[in-house]
Amino acid sequence: MFDNLLPPLNEHNLPYPDTIHPIVVHFVIAMVLFAFFCDVLGYFSRNSKLYEVSWWNMFVATVSIFIAIIFGQIEAGLAIAYDAVEPVLNLHTIIGWSLSGIIAALTGWRYVIRSKNPETLPMSYLGMGAILTGIVFFQVYLGDKLVWVYGLHTTEIVQAAKEGLL
Amino acid sequence: MYSDLIHQLDLGANGLPYSIPIHPNLVHLTLGLFIIGIAFDIVGVFFTFERPIFKYLAIPATRSNFFDVGWYNMVAASIITFFTVAAGFYEMLLMDAPSEVKSAWNFTAIDTMIWHGIGGVLLLALIVGMTVWRGFQRYVWRSDRSRQVQWWYLLAGLVIMFVMYIHGTLGAQLAAEFGAHNTAGHLLRLGEDPNVLLR
Repeated sequence: MFDNLLPPLNEHNLPYPDTIHPIVVHFVIAMVLFAFFCDVLGYFSRNSKLYEVSWWNMFVATVSIFIAIIFGQIEAGLAIAYDAVEPVLNLHTIIGWSLSGIIAALTGWRYVIRSKNPETLPMSYLGMGAILTGIVFFQVYLGDKLVWVYGLHTTEIVQAAKEGLL
Repeated sequence: MYSDLIHQLDLGANGLPYSIPIHPNLVHLTLGLFIIGIAFDIVGVFFTFERPIFKYLAIPATRSNFFDVGWYNMVAASIITFFTVAAGFYEMLLMDAPSEVKSAWNFTAIDTMIWHGIGGVLLLALIVGMTVWRGFQRYVWRSDRSRQVQWWYLLAGLVIMFVMYIHGTLGAQLAAEFGAHNTAGHLLRLGEDPNVLLR
């Protein structure tokens, strides 16, 4: 009954031209990975300027991941996920929501470290950064699979799914 | 492109010797680092207006730190983009797409690919040029000023972001409208069912 209130969907099964989630995740992936890189470089070169660079990059990542999740949920809901995709999409969703908590917590911890002394970084934070980097890599791999292996929101797959071929 | 030569390679259904394209992953880094680099230089330039906000939020912030982010992010964007373009050209050489399909911008696959290739080289040159420009501002011309970047630099950054938007849309069209290197798309074209084969 609410069908006529929804915007029309295009050949990507989207109400707007192209997917937005893969664009917003630039600002999570690049910022988290570069923050960890700067932490490691700053730790070994004893350049505390790089700690500031990583803190602000984590700040951006924290804001961005919630926007990424909003668009991720919209586009997952419109994806016409066929049976074979479902386990990958579910795992990508669970890890995505978990990452919002993990990234926000790490940025919060970083805020405390920085407030106390912006020139040092405990090894334990670096360790957590390494774990976060690993999770982000895995999450990117899953997202890649959704697009590049399963073809969600590509015209060929959307058309085949709408015709009931999948 | 040289179809009989390409057949000598051991490629998967997606037309690549590996399961997931590399170029679109490096793109995250190029765009994320460049855009946030410019964004932090803008934050640095307008610091006077933001100071009360950061104070209200109890987030200690120093103007020079924002310019540090602007500089280091730009350097990283420059370095990574060489690899982004290299991976892009490699995967372009192995690209295969239906010739009769037209994109939302009314381009064929080959037109889209050529413009995306030209745009990639242009953007690499622009990003490296911006980094050199930024370096001169930071260490030579404005090293003693509190506002480290010129207005022209920020304006150029915004213009380049617009080029990136056009360029990125062409890349997205290669992926989502021409099904470039898409495993499920290639399987469909071969008359196979991805829902059965990709379980």
